[in-house]
Amino acid sequence: MRHLPAALLLFFCACPGPAPAPTDGGVDGGGSDGGAACQPRPSFPEDAGACLPLADDYQPRFNGSSGDGWPACVSDSNTYTPINPSISTVARVAAYEGIAELLWRDGGVPSPQAFVDARVLYAQDQGLDSRVQRREDVHYPAAPMPCSTAGIPEQHPERCVGPAKLLPLLNDAFARGAMGEAPRVHAARIEGALHWFLYVSSLSEVMSCTNRAQDCDSCWAYYTGGTPRDSPLGLAREVAALGPEAHQRAYDGTLAVRCWRNLDNETGVAMNTTLRDRAFAQLDRALLRGLALALRQRVTELPCSTGDVLDARWAYVQVLAPLLDRAARERNGPQADVLKAELSKSSPLSVDVGAVTGALDALFPCP
Amino acid sequence: MRGGLALSLTAVVLAAASGARAEEPPDAGPSKSSVAARAQRQTPDAGATLAADEFELSTTVSGARQHVPEQRASSTVRRTELQHRQPRSAPDALRYEPGVFVQQTAHAQASAFVRGLTGQQTVLVFDGLRLNTSTYRQGPNQYFFTLDAATIASVEVLRGGGSTWFGSDALGGVVATQPVEPPDASEGPLLRPTFTFRGASADGELGGRFQLEAALGRSSFLGGVGARRVGLLQSSGPVTSPADGSVPDVPRFDDDGRTQLGTGFNELTGDARFRVRVADGHSLTAALYAYRQFDAPRTDQCPPPGARSDECLTYTEQFRTLAYAAWDGAFESGVQARAAVSWQRQHERRENARPASFVLGTGRDVVDTFGATLRVQPRTFTPRPWLGLTVRTGVDTWVDLVDSRAWLTFDDIGVTQERSRGQYLAGSSSVTGGAWVDLEAAFSERWTARSGARVAWAAVQAPADPESGSAAVAQRWFPLAGHVGLEWRALRPVSLVVNLDRSFRAPNLDDLSSRQQTGAGFQFENPRLEPETATTLEAGARVRTAAVTADAWLFQTWLAGAVGKQPREVADCPPQTPACNASWNRFQLVNAPGVADVRGVEAALKLRLPWRLGVRATASWTWGEGPNLVARPADPSAPWTERVPLSRIPPFNGTAELTWQHPAGLGAAAALRWATLQDRLAVADFSDARIPAGGTPGYAVVDMRVWAHLSRHILAVLVLENLFDTPWRAHGSSVNGPGRGVIVSLSVSP
Repeated sequence: MRHLPAALLLFFCACPGPAPAPTDGGVDGGGSDGGAACQPRPSFPEDAGACLPLADDYQPRFNGSSGDGWPACVSDSNTYTPINPSISTVARVAAYEGIAELLWRDGGVPSPQAFVDARVLYAQDQGLDSRVQRREDVHYPAAPMPCSTAGIPEQHPERCVGPAKLLPLLNDAFARGAMGEAPRVHAARIEGALHWFLYVSSLSEVMSCTNRAQDCDSCWAYYTGGTPRDSPLGLAREVAALGPEAHQRAYDGTLAVRCWRNLDNETGVAMNTTLRDRAFAQLDRALLRGLALALRQRVTELPCSTGDVLDARWAYVQVLAPLLDRAARERNGPQADVLKAELSKSSPLSVDVGAVTGALDALFPCP
Repeated sequence: MRGGLALSLTAVVLAAASGARAEEPPDAGPSKSSVAARAQRQTPDAGATLAADEFELSTTVSGARQHVPEQRASSTVRRTELQHRQPRSAPDALRYEPGVFVQQTAHAQASAFVRGLTGQQTVLVFDGLRLNTSTYRQGPNQYFFTLDAATIASVEVLRGGGSTWFGSDALGGVVATQPVEPPDASEGPLLRPTFTFRGASADGELGGRFQLEAALGRSSFLGGVGARRVGLLQSSGPVTSPADGSVPDVPRFDDDGRTQLGTGFNELTGDARFRVRVADGHSLTAALYAYRQFDAPRTDQCPPPGARSDECLTYTEQFRTLAYAAWDGAFESGVQARAAVSWQRQHERRENARPASFVLGTGRDVVDTFGATLRVQPRTFTPRPWLGLTVRTGVDTWVDLVDSRAWLTFDDIGVTQERSRGQYLAGSSSVTGGAWVDLEAAFSERWTARSGARVAWAAVQAPADPESGSAAVAQRWFPLAGHVGLEWRALRPVSLVVNLDRSFRAPNLDDLSSRQQTGAGFQFENPRLEPETATTLEAGARVRTAAVTADAWLFQTWLAGAVGKQPREVADCPPQTPACNASWNRFQLVNAPGVADVRGVEAALKLRLPWRLGVRATASWTWGEGPNLVARPADPSAPWTERVPLSRIPPFNGTAELTWQHPAGLGAAAALRWATLQDRLAVADFSDARIPAGGTPGYAVVDMRVWAHLSRHILAVLVLENLFDTPWRAHGSSVNGPGRGVIVSLSVSP
């Protein structure tokens, strides 16, 4: 009995056990670190004019999908129609938004207390942490057991990306940020890890939607935060800021997923995996383009950033680059090698920005 | 029936008696209690029950001490049965009672369903003192587990409403426990220590108890301390879904496929009971009962479905302390009375650990209950030669004061933040109580009429917590309860009984202010709940002969305003409650708009056979249905019915035991417990991971027992449980029942 000594005391006095004493763990310390962001910030004018939708893409923005070959469905209205009016994922993306406001969105230096507050949001019951712990990347073969099983994440780190890769990273970044260590860097690591999480989550929900139709709602919500096209939250907000057309295509992808499920036994188990996979591919392509833009933006800021701002941009790149490696190799091995080689360099200042952006544009040219 | 009607009937009978002459009481009525049963209740220990007969009639005794009413459907588990069956806990002791079904959310938590209702819809009583607090939640709870079975002389189960005598919550039934009493001081000085050791293989239980009995002059004492350490519970393997053969998410098994994660606990107990006879017929009792349970995981949350295997919700502390003083008086006039004042502290501390993220959520709730009761039973008087009247009356009140806090800790950086509120709102309080009168009129030897009524009071208040969007609560009610009944002794051994009872449950602090993650989803408060009432009509037949004891009962309960879980949308969640928004399912307790029905049949039979053999058997069938709390879907083709099954209604179930007892103290028994498939599921049951997809399969489990009372000083018991290693699970449980194993117990009184 590990509580035996205290128990004997409690046994006789019948008084309540000790309460956890609120502590700050020394998080009041910390402070700003030096560094400057690019002035002006480099911008990348997205030109999607050459990026026509694929022939089998779902295109609800054009004549209510009448010309795209998809049968008529609930998404033809060009708005998302939830299967279940209550989408629990919306709360998780709301937590992401709160974390973003605390840690990186205003461009300032987050305080140690901001990291603690952000972690409270991250650790909410049934919140982001609970899903990071079990998140799987469905691009990889399924593990023999769920990723929540002890030992499985270590044996299948690519599939069990949440517990194997993202969780340790997030734990470390939140803790070190709360201790006042390189706040911008750890905020950027958290940002990158959560972007990765939101990407794999949205796609993971497509697959689970095969059996649980309401998971299609989660697919949409993990990308958009449960919002309309023109007021995106979460990952959609980040993507829309960098590539409006990439965001529109990704939103089309979520509507494609919803359309598939509407056409495929919405009240039961889906059977038309071909249509599902078309929708999945459409969404995946757009999301990858969006993440490539996010990576591209940080890389282009490397030469004109200094100090901790430079380190933060580099930290984000270091987190997100491995995510894109799998898709990059599927598309073009040599370009993927270029990308990997540049982003594996020990110093951000030695990165050939042109090579990286060229590789990204070649690998992920269109949403 | 409305409470006012019961009051009126009582008044009418009292008026009829007002001009009556006092004569000798007829040879009938409730005072015909079994001397053997009374003696049995006062048998303190193993050594003193040499060759105790398990087949004595289970009856209740009269007097001012609170027992379940005799004329109602009831049964009693006595100490000899506890000793021979070796239950793992107080709830476990009820598995052989008709109309009772024991559900287990955790290895260290069990809740008795009585006539299909449990938790806050039943009342727990210890030595006449109400144990229910205002934080008893909807659905099963763990609190009956916090009674140490070693201190129990008997457990009486009243099936059906009992609010007249026991107040709020007594809708489905009452579980009334009587404690083991100190030795009789009139037999001379006594000092008797007893050592008891117990072990069980299925969960590696190892424990014991030291008990001391003493008597000197007019004073007597009984006290003891006990401890046990219980390991992971090994089952016979998974119970599979009757719908698709899948293995439920709950419980999670170790690699051997038998050992259930999220089980095991540690326990310390202590008790002291001091009694002094201050005058002839008058005694004072001072008693203290302490229960301390440590590190008891909640199995369905350890880990939660889909979560990592190291995630766990653990009740690190589950304490209950009960202290009281009571005066029992019997006056020469024939009046008997009992008055008691009591204090109970219910304390629990939970830790929800997510070690992979270094996150620890802690909650601590403390409920202090102060109680006062007075019961008086004047002597029976006979205004007419053919009429005997017995009146009992009483008043009681219970005040709860609640403290509740919650924290979030990040272990890796040593940061702890206190939440704005706990599961309850700190500073909440509640009052419940009432005054009641009960009248029994015996007309000749064949007919007895009974009626009674309670005027009750209940009030609840809780402060607001703006940060969490929690509204203040201030509610009060004055419910009425009552009953009428008629007994006809058609033949001397046969009696037919019909009873009509109205009972109530006033909403408590849990209903009105708590927020918690339940098995079915996140549940949040509803400060606008109103009392629920149960009207029960029951008819029974009883046979009592030297060889046969049989009971059969039919009942129908109409639950008006039944409190149930209504699915809610995210938009309904209280503000600043992300755990509600983020949960897969959300519920709010509401009063059902119509009447829910619970009906059933219960039968119990005891046969005394030649060659010192005996047979016992029970069978219970319960059916429950209520208004669908899910709104009718907009799509008319979507499946929906106006009425749906009530949640976790037990399946058709029963028991059978064959026993043999030798006067020398040896005995043996073979016991069967069985249940059929339960696939009538409520809406909330479908999202409850404790219930396999499609329902809980049936089972039949056989135990064997042998015991030996070796002189008055030694009792040895061996139980072979689950002889055929059958996988089984009581409907609604997180834990599968123990697999094949052995329980041994040895009590020695040097």
